[in-house]
Amino acid sequence: MPLASDTVREITALRVRYPQPRSAILPCLWAVQNELGYLSAEGMEEVAAILDLAPSEVQAVSTFYSMYFAQPAGDHQLLICVNVSCALRGADAIVDHVQSRLGCPSGGTTGDGKFTWESTIECLGACGGAPAMQVNHHFHENLTPDRVDGLLERLRAEPRPSHANGQSVGHVAEALTVKAPSSGPHPPSAETPPAPNAEGPPADTGVSDPAFPAPELPLGEHTEMPGSRSKRSYTKRGSRSAPRKRPRPNAGDL
Amino acid sequence: MAADTTPPAAPEDGLVGITIDGRTARVAKGTLVTDASAILGIHIPVYCAHPKMDPVAVCRMCLVHVEKMPKLQPACATPVSEGMVVSTERADVAKTREGVLEFLLLNHPLDCPVCDRGGECDLQDFAFRYGPQASRFPITEKVHFNKAVPLSDRIELDQERCILCWRCTRYYDEITGEKELVLQERGVHTLVNTFEGKPLTSAFQGNLPEICPVGALTNRKYRFKARPWDLQRTKGVCPTCSYGCNINIDSRDFEIKRFASRDNPLVDDMWLCDRGRDSGPSWNNVERIRRPVLRDATGSREVSVSEAVAAAARSLREVRERHGPSSIAVLGSAENTNEEIWLLQRLARTALETPHLDHQLEAFPDIGPEEHALGIAEIEQCAAVIVLGDEPEREAPVLTLRLFKAQTKRGVAIRRVVAQATRSLVGELPAEGLIGLIADETNREHATALAGELSRSHQVRRMTVTRGVNGRGAKDLGMLPNSGPGYTAVDQAGKAGRHILEASAAGLITGLVVMGGSVWSASVTPLLERVAAALEVLVVIDTRPGPLSRAATVLIPGHAIFEKGGTVTNMEGRVQRVRPALPPATQTPSETRILSALAAELGAAGWPGDHLLINRELVTAVPAYARAGNGGRALFEAAVRA
Amino acid sequence: MGEHKLLTEHFGTEGLQTLAVYERVGGYQGLREALSRFTPETLIDEVKASGLRGRGGAGFPTGTKWGFLPKDVFPRYLCCNADESEPGCFKDRALIDENPHQLIEGLLIAAYALQVNTAFIYIRGEYHDQRLLLERCVEEARAAGHIGANVLGSGFSCDVIVHGGAGAYICGEETALIDSLEGYRGQPRLKPPFPALKGLYGKPTVVNNVETLSNLPHIVQRGGAWFKQLGTEKSAGTRLFCCSGHINRPGTYEIAMGTPIRELLEEECGGIWKDRSIKAFQPGGGSMQVLLPEHLDLPLDMDAVAQAGSSLGAGAMVFMDETTCMVNVSMRLVDFYHHESCGKCAPCREGTYFESDLMHRLEAGHLTLEELHTLADICDNMNGKCFCPLGDTATWFVMSAFKAFRDEFEAHCGAGACPVRTASAQLVTA
Repeated sequence: MPLASDTVREITALRVRYPQPRSAILPCLWAVQNELGYLSAEGMEEVAAILDLAPSEVQAVSTFYSMYFAQPAGDHQLLICVNVSCALRGADAIVDHVQSRLGCPSGGTTGDGKFTWESTIECLGACGGAPAMQVNHHFHENLTPDRVDGLLERLRAEPRPSHANGQSVGHVAEALTVKAPSSGPHPPSAETPPAPNAEGPPADTGVSDPAFPAPELPLGEHTEMPGSRSKRSYTKRGSRSAPRKRPRPNAGDL
Repeated sequence: MAADTTPPAAPEDGLVGITIDGRTARVAKGTLVTDASAILGIHIPVYCAHPKMDPVAVCRMCLVHVEKMPKLQPACATPVSEGMVVSTERADVAKTREGVLEFLLLNHPLDCPVCDRGGECDLQDFAFRYGPQASRFPITEKVHFNKAVPLSDRIELDQERCILCWRCTRYYDEITGEKELVLQERGVHTLVNTFEGKPLTSAFQGNLPEICPVGALTNRKYRFKARPWDLQRTKGVCPTCSYGCNINIDSRDFEIKRFASRDNPLVDDMWLCDRGRDSGPSWNNVERIRRPVLRDATGSREVSVSEAVAAAARSLREVRERHGPSSIAVLGSAENTNEEIWLLQRLARTALETPHLDHQLEAFPDIGPEEHALGIAEIEQCAAVIVLGDEPEREAPVLTLRLFKAQTKRGVAIRRVVAQATRSLVGELPAEGLIGLIADETNREHATALAGELSRSHQVRRMTVTRGVNGRGAKDLGMLPNSGPGYTAVDQAGKAGRHILEASAAGLITGLVVMGGSVWSASVTPLLERVAAALEVLVVIDTRPGPLSRAATVLIPGHAIFEKGGTVTNMEGRVQRVRPALPPATQTPSETRILSALAAELGAAGWPGDHLLINRELVTAVPAYARAGNGGRALFEAAVRA
Repeated sequence: MGEHKLLTEHFGTEGLQTLAVYERVGGYQGLREALSRFTPETLIDEVKASGLRGRGGAGFPTGTKWGFLPKDVFPRYLCCNADESEPGCFKDRALIDENPHQLIEGLLIAAYALQVNTAFIYIRGEYHDQRLLLERCVEEARAAGHIGANVLGSGFSCDVIVHGGAGAYICGEETALIDSLEGYRGQPRLKPPFPALKGLYGKPTVVNNVETLSNLPHIVQRGGAWFKQLGTEKSAGTRLFCCSGHINRPGTYEIAMGTPIRELLEEECGGIWKDRSIKAFQPGGGSMQVLLPEHLDLPLDMDAVAQAGSSLGAGAMVFMDETTCMVNVSMRLVDFYHHESCGKCAPCREGTYFESDLMHRLEAGHLTLEELHTLADICDNMNGKCFCPLGDTATWFVMSAFKAFRDEFEAHCGAGACPVRTASAQLVTA
């Protein structure tokens, strides 16, 4: 399926933005992903043609970076940080909670295609507001299971965010997209961190806290992305870069 | 403090001194430590490093200790500097090698028994020599990838066996520029693949299994055919075109199992094209002429070779007596060795006394050595190279890789223009420097005209792509109606190849000697059939049957190029030896001995029959070949002048 | 000593992200002065005199780095490294979120000093909103004549391109960043040649961190000598420290170099949470070695922390309380490096995988003591053998933790579960 003319126009414009056209690969791939929700073979071929590259070169680049999808993803993408700073403040409990709420393991998409979620060991740069996650590239910090529930409810009512000119439209209540912590503690907001000395999420890692609500019934059948693993407390090998087996050549082509 | 703190003065000779494991050498500035160690006979194991590619230092196998460096250094990417002291024997180097091998084997499958690379696998060899005794990694945790992925009808990829040395992807980046194989994914999930797993289309795929240090890329045509220790290896020259790529002929049980490249930086630069590489095993299935045959109106009968030679001489003498010497013609081919050509042209000129001799069907009017002045490696020294049409690269595919190297690594401007270009190109060329002009031999006229024009403002050297493995040698040694050995003038010009055939068909020539004519293309078959029907005497010496051999009055089997010794000359004039890799498919002697015997029967006794003795004779007569020796270029006066 | 606001002075000012408000609080004065009072050469000298050292982690003197550019080779390029991905590090995000024009001004000052006509800001893909903000600010500055042809009428021209990454920690390594910016897989390049000679598009290139560049407007305005007297002899100026983990007030704090770490913990961060005691801390982000409570009295000084066996790195402080399982923390950091290994060199690609496997089994209590020694051995086989620092640093934390908490590591062996977690669960219920 050829790319929409808007996307082609955007890619063509990006081509001349840099001293050398090849530099535009990453933004061009963003344009494709913004339109299709993932990087299709045809999309990569079109980018290659416009940038005067071999399609293989585009795929070599696209698979290196963890934020490009090789398959269509759900309407809303949740990325939960489980690196040290978030883990010290209860990220594993958030992961367990999201998993039980969405009913599919990390790296999976809910059966209704609404959510794709993943726990990532890649630090998201929100350690000051740990535990944190990104929803459709927007930060949500100081998460608690209750807040996650509220967020999921609101997202469930939201359509897939639309993108234009690489600008994703913020769709969740603006207040939620908190600013990064400035000098000093976070400014008071809807997302104020737990007060000093308050019992936050447990600091220990890997155990579900009895204080957290028991998982409810999963919201739907889940589909599992290839390569996702769920046997450990979080995705050990990072399903975002898990091997996506490439198709073998068709014997008939030989 | 009077201590001399100035660094040692740069030596006059441009060499720098290095000590490796106590041995010292002086090597050229810029030499890599791996190369310096090779000079000193010290082995440093490498996977990613490759002599034809830029260093990347990714495998970390070659880490060595360099004095005054805080960390171990990759020998493959470290240039030698004056006074450098390197150790490859320290305990930390040994431990590092063991560690790297453990890492490389971590996710490597345990399928050596069924791996085609077994016996010539660097991973096996280095693991044996430098590796750990046992694995500490649980086998259940190995990362798995696709196995036995057919990338084309030639190449199979086992992504699991890959150690990610990047040689194949760099090959496609740096050597061919085709970018077919790339790295995908990252970290431990990194793999080599084509775009969406699409098949390879390159004309140079066969090099991939050779550069792969492990069994990840294997040759499907050689798959499960042999283990390397069962192969007999003979040095040879690829017989497919006139480029003269050096090869190793690997045979087993009297069959050619594969052609492997044999690096000659001046010619092939270690790359073979698939057409050439595939031609080796295909020889095993070629139909061969095995016995001498005499044929007359009453039918044909197999005879001994001496009977056949005597009959050939008798019938040729009869023709000469009846119709005169110019009723006889001699045709060689571009597949004959220099020694065969030498005897054949001598047979024509002195024993049969005919001016009609040639080696190809095309005519070469005004042929001169200046059209062969440019050497293959000299392409890299040109300021610009003009390639007329696509024939040169189609005929000699490896030329494409040399042009790409000249362009990307030496900054040579490559201009490909239509074959018949007559428009002025002067304005598009650099003002200074040597201009190379490459054309096919079917396009000599345009090349001559263009060279004439360019030489008014530039220094121009021409390269002409000849046909066959020895089309150039046949020309040099005078297997031409209009030029004697060494491009000397002849008293009387004879008929050229096609005219000889047409004259034969018309009954003007009644006796014909043909050696190796089976290589002529099918398009001349009707003419050959008419020739065969019209001739009184047709003496054919050939390896493979064809329209002429089937009608020959005297048929004598020949030895294929892999079955005999001699020399051949490539298109740039490089004289290279061929050696017998297989026993001949016939019990008759080689062509040179047959020609010598035939000359004796014709009254010219004493001609050498052994190719080494013939070679001695021809280098005495053609000084350019004496200067070329074995492996050098035959350069003729006129070429040097040009 | 203590908190000293320089880069963060105007943080929180309403509308600081707009050009108007930024200029109202004195913004772009530094650029004006740089263009009017300095030649490129004197500007480089001023930065050298300031003692500013890179804030990305390695701490290399900025002016010296600039001085490596070969003379008379143009074009040259400048890249702002905003690929902040070090575990525990979020100061660049704060600098961009709160005061994006300060960064752009610093970038333009550096571009003028280096005579660069095209400057890039390479920002990590996850900082999506920050990229949009920067793009908006660049457009605003361009419209005002601060970017583009003839910057502020000075005759100097500079374009700024904001370039978003797509998820790869390794692109924070300067040569990988250059490869990524050129449109390749972001993998480190062989050095030499160093970027100063052959960087972006094969041209002389300087890569500077967000915080480094954000310092420049202040150095230009107040002088290198003034800047140098802030902080310590060898660590001039202030630094932003990202504090996270088990503390009462996580956040970014701007501190004069030389302040004791304890002061940062007690006064800015509000101490360890839940009235617990500190078990360990990591002073420089995920790459750096663990330090113990006894090191709290060290000054925030690159050399002093280096002497204690760690590094201030990118200024990320992760504090861990007494309940923390050091094996679990090590496991996560090892997994991070395993996830982010670019796969270029064998020791890092395979070593991090091996490490990760061992750490997961150790954390679950299924490792033998012998295998624990295997872990130490493979770390030794990686450290110093990798292509770039990523593979080396993948061993630093786990090895330092193994050394400092050997009992804890050994207690995990064969325990069948995490003994620390079991113990702290008892502690909480008690």
